[in-house]
Amino acid sequence: MNKLITLFLVVGLTGCSLFAKKVEANTNINGNVESRCTVNTDTVGYYGNPNAYTLTTLPASAGQVPVVRVDTSLANAYKAQISYPTSFSSSPSLGDTVVWTGAVAVAQTSSNDMSGYQAASTTADGGAMRIYNLVHAGATWFSVSSVATYGGGQQKAFPGGSYTAVVVAECIAQ
Amino acid sequence: MNTGTLGISAEEGLDISGVLYNYTAVKNVVDDFTVTIESDKVGGGYIFQEEHNWDGKYGGRIQNVIPLPYTPVEQFGDGRIRGTGTGSLEDVSILYMYRWDLCRNAQNDESCPNYIPPLPVIPKIEIYDALDDEFVTDTTEAVDDNLLDKKEEKRETEEEDEEKERLEIAMAASENALTIANTTSQASILKQINTATNINSYYVAQISGGVYRDTTQLDGGKVVDNRLVFRSLTQEQLHNEMIQEQYK
Repeated sequence: MNKLITLFLVVGLTGCSLFAKKVEANTNINGNVESRCTVNTDTVGYYGNPNAYTLTTLPASAGQVPVVRVDTSLANAYKAQISYPTSFSSSPSLGDTVVWTGAVAVAQTSSNDMSGYQAASTTADGGAMRIYNLVHAGATWFSVSSVATYGGGQQKAFPGGSYTAVVVAECIAQ
Repeated sequence: MNTGTLGISAEEGLDISGVLYNYTAVKNVVDDFTVTIESDKVGGGYIFQEEHNWDGKYGGRIQNVIPLPYTPVEQFGDGRIRGTGTGSLEDVSILYMYRWDLCRNAQNDESCPNYIPPLPVIPKIEIYDALDDEFVTDTTEAVDDNLLDKKEEKRETEEEDEEKERLEIAMAASENALTIANTTSQASILKQINTATNINSYYVAQISGGVYRDTTQLDGGKVVDNRLVFRSLTQEQLHNEMIQEQYK
């Protein structure tokens, strides 16, 4: 009889320990945020070569100024950061210095409320980057001019070949 | 809104779905300037009207779209962009977006349902009448009796008509003359009547003398016949005979 009681106790304690074990489950919550800001190339740029040591996007020198379009459907939520190039992404081997100059400007807007964007913009990265606070919803077109001069002021001729530089345009949440 | 404005045919079936505009406002920040883009609606009002207030803003270039529900081009009147205030507009361009419903008027294209082929244009056929051909007339004139008779009849009819016309003119002239004469004679009679009112002097007039005696004297008392007269009478008889000849 005592053996029987002991057995029941053992079984009872074992059952209690089984019911008290911790059970866990990890459930994911997925979500996507679709940006209310888009960046697109409106006009592809290319360099003209008015002389041996200069590459420029100026139309007067047979170049073309690239235009980037930034659209936002949400006011006061994003800022646009546009940079003119400061190096070639691909080019022949260059043994001398390239001097880069350029400018970023608001070419046109979809609303006259945005006419103050240029005046309110700031610069960074040594002046190569210009930052615009997109305080109004709508479209803004930015033009980016670029001039590369070879030879570090010595007017050395660029080596023959293909040259590519990149304009970086970003739309960043504020 | 017409073909020249749209650059395409402004026929029935063209709907405008939006307007893409572009302009540069040139102004100083402190200046007041307003830009209005609008299009009149046929019958009154505007199809769209958008106003941009540039007061206290930098000038700049604007590009935007005015979306419209599909609107038949027939409803569009004149469109314009205008600036008021201190500033100017440069590099203006306005583009109309459209769709073309070819078969709204089924007659636009023969592939449209309910297209009715137009009736062919019937050419006007000149019927040749040889009798009206002057060459034929000239050729047959000498030998064709019918043509000669017709011509003669025509000529006689024309002469008769002319005669009647002349007679009418003459009668009208004589009638006028008689009217004038009657007026003149009446005036004359009236004048005579007026003169006759004082004819007493005729009653008291005395004519001197009395009887006028015959003063002819016949010498010898014998009257001899004139031979020439007889001769003349003979000729007269001959003359009468000749006249009578025609009634025989």
